[in-house]
Amino acid sequence: MDVLALISPAFFGLVAAGTVIGIFFGAIPGLTATMAVAVCLPLTYSMGLGTGLAFLLGLYVGGISGGLVPAVLLNIPGTPSSIATTFDGYPMARRGEGERALKIGICASLFGGLFSLVVLYLFAPPLADFAIKFSFVEKFLIILLALTLLAALGSGMLTGLFSGVLGMFVSLVGVYDINNGGNGDIRLVPGFLETWLESGFSLLPVLIGVFGLTAVLIEAEHGVREDAATKKLLLASGKPFRLSVFRGQWVNLLRSSAIGTFVGLLPGIGGSAASILAYSQEKTFNRKEPDAFGKGAPSGIIASESANNGLTGGALIPLLSLGIPGDATTAILIGAFTLQGIQVGPLFIGDNPGVWQAIVIAMLFANLCMVLVMLFAIRPIARVVMVPKYLLLPIILMMCVVGAYTINSGVMFDVWTMLAFGVFGWLIYKLRLDMAPFVIGFILGPSAEVYFVKSLESFGTLTIFFTKSWIAMLLWVLILASVTASVAIARAGARRARMAAAAEA
Amino acid sequence: MNRRQFSVLGLIGGLAAAGFMPLSAGAQPLPDAIRMVIGSNAVSGDTYQNASIIAEALSAHLGIKVKVDAVGISEAFKAVGRDPRGTTVMFHHDQSYLSHLYGVRGFSDIFSAYKVGPVVSVNPGNAYLVPKQSPYQSVDDLLKAAADGTRIRVGIQAGGVSEIGYSALKNAARLAKPGSEANIVAVNSGSQADKNQQLFDGQVEVINGSVQANEQFTRLPDDDQKAMRFLWLTASREIIEEAPEAGFGQTSREQLLQYVTPAMRVTLDGQQDFVFDKDFFLLYNKDMPDEMVKAIDEALAAIYAKGDIQKTLKSSFFIPHFLPSQEAAAYLKTKDGNYRQVIEAIAAKN
Repeated sequence: MDVLALISPAFFGLVAAGTVIGIFFGAIPGLTATMAVAVCLPLTYSMGLGTGLAFLLGLYVGGISGGLVPAVLLNIPGTPSSIATTFDGYPMARRGEGERALKIGICASLFGGLFSLVVLYLFAPPLADFAIKFSFVEKFLIILLALTLLAALGSGMLTGLFSGVLGMFVSLVGVYDINNGGNGDIRLVPGFLETWLESGFSLLPVLIGVFGLTAVLIEAEHGVREDAATKKLLLASGKPFRLSVFRGQWVNLLRSSAIGTFVGLLPGIGGSAASILAYSQEKTFNRKEPDAFGKGAPSGIIASESANNGLTGGALIPLLSLGIPGDATTAILIGAFTLQGIQVGPLFIGDNPGVWQAIVIAMLFANLCMVLVMLFAIRPIARVVMVPKYLLLPIILMMCVVGAYTINSGVMFDVWTMLAFGVFGWLIYKLRLDMAPFVIGFILGPSAEVYFVKSLESFGTLTIFFTKSWIAMLLWVLILASVTASVAIARAGARRARMAAAAEA
Repeated sequence: MNRRQFSVLGLIGGLAAAGFMPLSAGAQPLPDAIRMVIGSNAVSGDTYQNASIIAEALSAHLGIKVKVDAVGISEAFKAVGRDPRGTTVMFHHDQSYLSHLYGVRGFSDIFSAYKVGPVVSVNPGNAYLVPKQSPYQSVDDLLKAAADGTRIRVGIQAGGVSEIGYSALKNAARLAKPGSEANIVAVNSGSQADKNQQLFDGQVEVINGSVQANEQFTRLPDDDQKAMRFLWLTASREIIEEAPEAGFGQTSREQLLQYVTPAMRVTLDGQQDFVFDKDFFLLYNKDMPDEMVKAIDEALAAIYAKGDIQKTLKSSFFIPHFLPSQEAAAYLKTKDGNYRQVIEAIAAKN
């Protein structure tokens, strides 16, 4: 099919509409890009191939991008892939730089999206061939590399590691799914909860609980005191946004976009791992402001957002070159292709050059629309911090409950999960443990387990993790470098803290 | 809020409510809206595609809303088990009873725990594939190798449609040379992507796949690491003969017939050949009223009598196969009995 036959004014209109709806889904905690595409998929039945794909790709790009809004303004990741954005976005918003943080995130998202699109367009088939060199062993090592952030992200190395391991432990609750190569046995679940916890704790209720509800509880504990001056400070004070913030960030932008694209290329790893990995690498190798991460460093937002948007083009590579989805959202796109009578697989691009070009055009236009829409809407959106807390906190609470309830089409247990993890998050705060490593452990734990077990099942020996391929060896070098740098940073931080304490004394 | 704002909001609310209002269902015993949960959480698979076709046809015929929801198998069973009112029905395939036969945790006997609804279609594409440069040209080659002591690893997703063909291969090996079935071993790979990856890595000799998901890989050049070749399709010859002449992708029906019995034989008992047609059907809550079951049966009978749905199913490479609920239950019960024998025969020897 010729590309011109697929492109029409309606094509561009639907990309724009999809992007706006996607941003809306991404920005509401509990709704995700995957849900946006799944919910709207039936609407495309009656559309043509070009317009249907245009709409869905707009939803995809918008959904991934919208997640940064609540991550920055409310400290609640709108989608799991914007978790790392909360680490620095929210501290910036608290010191009056919410608008600046959002603009940084939007520009980084655009860069990541366009970077991955160029890679997709130029190198999709050879990269798909490269992707299949990554077996379970290499995928496990990539997860391990992302996990090296655990130690670096905590307030101390030990508390970071402890919180991370605790997160991994909680993620193992439930059945080791037979569809993931497991044995189907249930574990770590008391008998009376087996019905509800068969599939473990759902990711989104846990995230909404530990980010959203915990914040509400902490605020409530301190009492709601504020005055007009504070609100004004939150919106308008702090540094204004200048493009010069990206000066010196080229390495970060390129590395993070490349990490996002690359992780998208590997089926099964997912967007949250991409942004966490990019964030960890930037935190580890940033020499200019190593202590600023977690306290409102623009570099952190740039890393996270360019990586999660880099994923969009990356995840389409295995989809269009192997017929295998790179993430949960692109898995739904296969459904759209199938319903339109097109089979994706290794010969898709060669057999359907028109459709292929239409996809690239839709993605390009969706990225541009995303920037325009978000930049246009940013000022009214950022005013959310102006809403008095006695109104904002109940609204957040309501959004948390509704979000948790809708995730699995109305399962009340998800609301209890959200509430339980909200209280748990508050306890973690009181015990001075670290929430970020806990969440990272929780998200990456299941993938780490599946790939570790599958590696052993396939190869039968632990040494395979070191000997499988040159890629595995390279990943070990990166893991060691990351751990060494984390330890060095932690020690330097502790030394500075000691010196500061001594100076004060 | 002033009066004008109030009116605008009221108008928006009214329009939204009207948009969500189900169409009138008339005097039929069915509810105005039915949620059709499917036993898969992927909307990219054949279950979602089939369910969408059936849901759309039912919606149009009955004037009610039928919404497909991809919730995954255990959530689907739970959802339909909770709802005797007929507002939730389940759409799935043979995995529903095969998983119980394989003893997968959490699967009960569908014939006693649920009400079996109508069978609607068959996916003829359940396939076993080998790398293009594999020495195994036929199932016989595979069985001979197993008899000679070579270990054959088969990548499957355990406990369902993917495993039944593997069980049949093991059973055939046992009949060809008792004891040789131990050389055919399953690797529980998981998803199709992971099964493919294990074949690319040389970690398995055979994988379970499908005509739809793997056909393009069979057209790659021989020296491509990803190139595969069909070895065996489990469908019956009669089912493949009903597929469109053009087949699927660039593999014609004629070519596909080379991979089914009698061209490619896997014996069931030394006399008959093993075949497995992947049937899609509805499952209801055990207490769903009989008049609702009847209403859906009659609606589908009318839809199939009209003939349009057959074209839609065939264009998506599904074979129309309508059986009303009672016949469907008897038909699936027979299949359940046949496959139980295969599974028990292997289990007894291991």
